[in-house]
Amino acid sequence: MYRYDEFDHAFVSARVEQFKDQVERRLAGELTEEQFRPLRLMNGVYLQLHAYMLRVAVPYGTLSSRQMHKLAHIARRYDRGYGHFTTRQNIQYNWPALKDIPAVLDELASVEMHALQTSGNCIRNVTADHFAGAAADEVGDPRPYAEILRQWSSMHPEFSYLPRKFKIAVTGADRDRAAIQVHDIGLHLKKNESGELGFGVYVGGGQGRTPMVAKKVRDFLPVEDLLTYTTAIVRVYNLNGRRDNKYKARIKILVHETGTEEITRQIETEWQAIKETDLKLPQQDVDAIDAYFAPPNLVQRPEGWSELAAARKADPAFSAWVDQNVTPHKNPDYGVVTISLKPIGGIPGDATDAQMDLVADIAEKFSYDEIRVSHEQNLVLPHVAIADLRIVYDLLLTDGLATANAGLITDIISCPGLDYCALATARSIPVAQRISERFGNPERQADIGELKLKISGCINACGHHHVGHIGILGVEKKGEELYQISLGGSGDEICTIGDITGRGFSSEEIVDAIETIVDRYLEIRTDKEETFLATYRRVGAAPFKDALYSEVANAA
Amino acid sequence: MSDIEQPAGELWGREGFREDPYVTAETLEEAGDAPAVILPLGVWLGLTEEIRNASNRKIGVVVAPGESVEPLLPLLDSIPVIALEFPAFSDGRSYSKAELIKNQHHFKGELRAVGDVLIDQVAYMLRTGFDTMKVNHAVTLNRLAGHNLHDVPGYYQPGRGSHTVPGTYSWRRVPGA
Repeated sequence: MYRYDEFDHAFVSARVEQFKDQVERRLAGELTEEQFRPLRLMNGVYLQLHAYMLRVAVPYGTLSSRQMHKLAHIARRYDRGYGHFTTRQNIQYNWPALKDIPAVLDELASVEMHALQTSGNCIRNVTADHFAGAAADEVGDPRPYAEILRQWSSMHPEFSYLPRKFKIAVTGADRDRAAIQVHDIGLHLKKNESGELGFGVYVGGGQGRTPMVAKKVRDFLPVEDLLTYTTAIVRVYNLNGRRDNKYKARIKILVHETGTEEITRQIETEWQAIKETDLKLPQQDVDAIDAYFAPPNLVQRPEGWSELAAARKADPAFSAWVDQNVTPHKNPDYGVVTISLKPIGGIPGDATDAQMDLVADIAEKFSYDEIRVSHEQNLVLPHVAIADLRIVYDLLLTDGLATANAGLITDIISCPGLDYCALATARSIPVAQRISERFGNPERQADIGELKLKISGCINACGHHHVGHIGILGVEKKGEELYQISLGGSGDEICTIGDITGRGFSSEEIVDAIETIVDRYLEIRTDKEETFLATYRRVGAAPFKDALYSEVANAA
Repeated sequence: MSDIEQPAGELWGREGFREDPYVTAETLEEAGDAPAVILPLGVWLGLTEEIRNASNRKIGVVVAPGESVEPLLPLLDSIPVIALEFPAFSDGRSYSKAELIKNQHHFKGELRAVGDVLIDQVAYMLRTGFDTMKVNHAVTLNRLAGHNLHDVPGYYQPGRGSHTVPGTYSWRRVPGA
């Protein structure tokens, strides 16, 4: 993974020193909360319902064991013993004291981490496929390009006061695990006919109150043009994006109102003017960054396969976990392990300090020191030998980290909702917990199969409900929490926004309503191979609406 | 640090504060016989070429965030000063305009930022091409007077007032011409 050099160290410590000065001035009353606001936001410090929240950047979701130990230490020493992994592959601490935040930033800097650009109207932490560098289906590792973008966008003088926040995601496989088409810029790393690497470029996707699937503006952008082309896109946006209405300020609205053809023309015109400038990437720089992400030297472990077969026979629970949480690695002796942070009835994405330490220890011994945070709010051990799966499973089991539900209905993405967030209009965590309990039976959820359920506690859609196979949006209506359901959304390479079923459900009704949908799916699927999404795409919304509204009407 | 009182209305540049030779006026008539005047974009564009290039007075132009600088680009040689307005610190359009005017179209005159400038933005403005600042923010004025620019020791992008770092990535720069 990328390692800081002197330049990076000096940059981050200078930023920490600046923020120390700002916090001192705030605590001394020299700065009002209003004056302090833009300064703290640049350092990832939000003011939530009950306390300040610190959001720490985990660039493209990649962590070393040392960094994970540090995150555990911060949770223990400065927070209440846990942290919350987010859909941006970051971690949030919900209860730090303002006076401690400079010390936390110092601690982070000591392991080459920071909280810069995790908020504010700037280019945010760049995300990537959480299986990058490991997945069997990968064309190229997206992380070197995410790292180049991370550096280039850091404290960018031209792009730090954009109309609104700006999110870039990079994927390196045709199977899109980074949801690039619901980002402001989505980059699909691929090869052209001559075998050269480049990007399919998508612009103007996003969720929030106006969900949009991104438009492709370029089929193949050579790697050397990554920064010039990105600059052209962001410049067109900075100059022309709407600033009169916060809710219409994202680039998706500009793309929609301008039209794909015209916006593409504007981007291309700007790009032609700057294509040959200093930002054109020399191959040696790309290679130098690429070298940091060289795959670990994996030891051949062919004995794993026979051991695995025996272990699976002996323990059905282990076998179910392997089926659900282990995906193919480039090296057939290895697997990619998803550590579910979705225990049945738990809070999606939360991890205790002890759990973080445990994951760090396991990664050090069994995953070449690498950990990933997924946008689905799980952790990933990218390089585990098949031969070590049993021992890794046993270790995970000791602290509730072996839930075999990756990709299943209880692997719920949920925003923090009204339990923490100042913007939320409804609670989302308790709904996630109740759905998780309802479907918690391992056989039942395995039978239901792949089903991505996502919950947002307000229209800003941080819980990605628009791209949930089943999406739930909590709103407030006449003082009551009401939950709206959408169906058929998907954030992968065939990206779709879910269709709203109809009137919402009360907090008491919502879990039954989800069960009604799932039961109807089980009745009408052609066979077990037809996933919920495939069934929905075949039959449409009608059978589900039917089940939902007739049944609830009857019950009432 | 000790804060030094600095009156608003002065012009700040890398060398420090100085008196602003320009008056801002809505029309040329309103400016009277002032030798240096800054006019709104629409008014400036309405002047004849003869008046714009008159040798006895300097006529600059101020551009609001919502106005395009495109019509100025072919005329840059005849403009002594372009002032880009920042009515609110959060409106960043003028950074991109600075980039276009100074770096893409090589404007030789003075590029000025006017308005609600936070101290944390001054370094960004200098890097995108602004030469001077006319600031109404008291805290910013005090910090500028104390030469505390909130800058960082290195940049991850090319920009004015910086140079390349030999032996490292092409996009990186350090402060200094």
